[in-house]
Amino acid sequence: MNSINNSYIERPRYLCSLGGALSTLEALPETIPVMHCASGCAGSIAWAQNGGSALQVGGHCGGLTVPSSNVGERDVVFGGTDRLTEQLKNTLEIMEGRLYVIITGCVTEIIGDDIRAVAAEFESGDYAIVAANTGGFKGNSYLGYDIVLTSIVNQYVKKAASKKKKSVNILGIVPYMDVFWRGNLKGVRRLLEKLGLEVNTFFTDEDSLDGLKNSSEAELNIVLSDVYGHETAKAYEETHGVPYITATLPIGPTASAELLNAVCGALCLEADVDAIVGAENKRYYRCLELLSDTYNDIDLQKFAVIIGDVNYAVAVTRFLLDDFGWIPVLTQFTDVLDGERQEHIAGKLKAPAPLNGPKVVFDTNASEVVRYINELYPKRESDKYAETIAPAFVIGSSLDRAAALKIGAPHLSVSFPVSNRAVLSRGYTGFDGGLTLIEDLLSAAVAMR
Amino acid sequence: MPGKIKQIAVYGKGGIGKSTTTSNISAALSKLGFKVMQFGCDPKSDSTNTLRGGQYIPTVLDTLREKTNVKATDVIFEGYNGIYCVEAGGPSPGVGCAGRGIITAVELFKQQKAFEKLDLDYVIYDVLGDVVCGGFAVPIREGIAEHVFTVSSADFMAIYAANNLFKGIAKYSHSGGALLGGIIANSINQPYAKHIVDDFAEKTKTKIMQYVPRSVTVTQSELQGKTTIEAAPDSEQAAVYMELADRIAKHEVSATPSPLEISELREWAASWANQLIALETGALTSQAQGI
Ligand SMILES: Nc1ncnc2c1ncn2[C@@H]1O[C@H](COP(=O)(O)OP(=O)(O)OP(=O)(O)O)[C@@H](O)[C@H]1O
Ligand SMILES: [Mg+2]
Repeated sequence: MNSINNSYIERPRYLCSLGGALSTLEALPETIPVMHCASGCAGSIAWAQNGGSALQVGGHCGGLTVPSSNVGERDVVFGGTDRLTEQLKNTLEIMEGRLYVIITGCVTEIIGDDIRAVAAEFESGDYAIVAANTGGFKGNSYLGYDIVLTSIVNQYVKKAASKKKKSVNILGIVPYMDVFWRGNLKGVRRLLEKLGLEVNTFFTDEDSLDGLKNSSEAELNIVLSDVYGHETAKAYEETHGVPYITATLPIGPTASAELLNAVCGALCLEADVDAIVGAENKRYYRCLELLSDTYNDIDLQKFAVIIGDVNYAVAVTRFLLDDFGWIPVLTQFTDVLDGERQEHIAGKLKAPAPLNGPKVVFDTNASEVVRYINELYPKRESDKYAETIAPAFVIGSSLDRAAALKIGAPHLSVSFPVSNRAVLSRGYTGFDGGLTLIEDLLSAAVAMR
Repeated sequence: MPGKIKQIAVYGKGGIGKSTTTSNISAALSKLGFKVMQFGCDPKSDSTNTLRGGQYIPTVLDTLREKTNVKATDVIFEGYNGIYCVEAGGPSPGVGCAGRGIITAVELFKQQKAFEKLDLDYVIYDVLGDVVCGGFAVPIREGIAEHVFTVSSADFMAIYAANNLFKGIAKYSHSGGALLGGIIANSINQPYAKHIVDDFAEKTKTKIMQYVPRSVTVTQSELQGKTTIEAAPDSEQAAVYMELADRIAKHEVSATPSPLEISELREWAASWANQLIALETGALTSQAQGI
């Protein structure tokens, strides 16, 4: 009969593509999103952000105050472009911005409203209007980030007359889906500035809309994700001839040094990366030195279970393996990824013996994590001599607290949704970011003392 | 005592003669003494033209476009012999969602219990030819029409469309949707055409309600903005429609059809193609012409 397939739907770890597009726009300076969707979309997105983005929600022209055409049945039947035209007109009058971006929800996308035509009606020298077909059913919020940025790259970003030497753009860190987006982008900028680069991160308070507008001048795009931001990077390449490289989100010394080397190589810079890395490592380990005695005395060494989106699952696992020294036993990716990508990503988590790297699973339902742990540590008749996962630590999202409780492990939320932390400017990227992550991990480990 | 309203939906390939046939059925049923409403479910909104002297009437959706609250009675117009005419209407071509429009219009009538209030005997839905999305299937879903009649000629494309419709009916039949009353074979002038539709009806376990010839009387009547029943009541064609209406009036039990799989349908068509070639070359003359 009509049995639900052998799995069930868990609390989701992302929003729809409209949600991803909206939160991306909320993070861009001087940008006003105009939603063309049913009433209710904005609310759902705001509440999802509220519960998942570590208390960051809304802001100027976001959350529940975002302009939206709020289409109803009549607009569905006759087409919603008249309503959108009216909404856009009013928004232009009331909301001051330089870039207005129309984004569509499922309903208006299904009926095929021509939003490009509406945008064209309002062309003006005073502001720019971009139209992005983000209809929620297209995919999740990470895709929404890519769709809306691709539209901006193709419709708004100026064609550069010439390349600006030593300037780069950062892609792949998705605002609000990565709750540490501000801190992470800043961390990456500080890191790459050590190579003498001008680093355009688009979304932080140090960025401007002009930075985005002129971003095709960049010599290189750096995508800090194995999945997110790739479509945008391809659009830059096709439309503006900006090449790109892909790297892991750089958390801690090893990944940071790798990124510096990769960028230096791609741009053929003459910088002395070894010297930079040497100096940074010195700072990093001097800080860590304080910890080393206690670390052994009070037994802070842990077996780690990592559950997260592709950026965090890779970056955190690598950080534990390469820098911190906790032993990752299980890494679960909660994104929906095809076989080819799974293989590529699993390959990134290998480590030499005896560590060997964690067991890697791809499963969107993270409540399965306990089952995977049990597979790794099968229960014997007598538990006495059986190998168990202890002392353990779970690094995941707020949804993974239950699993942590089940195995009696402390827990830290880093991947969306993060509802049990407040995050504003904190970040884990760069050498310093590694220290911050260690602080957070160990604070959680000793929190019950 | 007011009996139960018999709700009927007419489907079929675009341009096959649904509106023409439906209007003649409505006219004939009204002559038989029934109170009839014809409900055009087509953004072209031309279903009831020949019941109204060739005139277009304001549609449900036109009216809804102007004001938020529409009374069903505002969009019902009387036509030939007291037949109630309604056109659902729709958005201009290329925008919006005509399917949702049909849903909106049909729901409006259902909610306001418009049919009951008029004490109708028949509501006939004339649905546009190319059923492109769920909205156009609304009349055959649960709680609206009970009987579906499909208009088809002997052309393969018309039969293909009918077969697709059968698939839809079979699907909705599990959830209380409309069932198939039969096929109204239109433009049947050659004996072989009759054989083709007969064979298709047999294969799909349904029946032919009537064979309607292609006739210039229909064209002449249409040009006067009238049904054949109104313009040429004593014609042979009118008699055909009267007989069809009578059969529909007597029709009680509809059934779930057995649509052919696409490969079966192709094979079936191919076998007919061979027979028609044989017919043309004279090999099968007497048999195929039924002499
Ligand atoms: N039996 C017939 N004899 C002569 N002409 C006919 C006959 N049936 C239909 N026609 C003509 O065919 C044309 C199309 O018919 P009609 O408009 O009824 O088709 P339809 O199936 O309702 O089309 P649509 O799918 O576009 O609504 C009309 O001009 C009509 O007069
Ligand atoms: Mg018609």
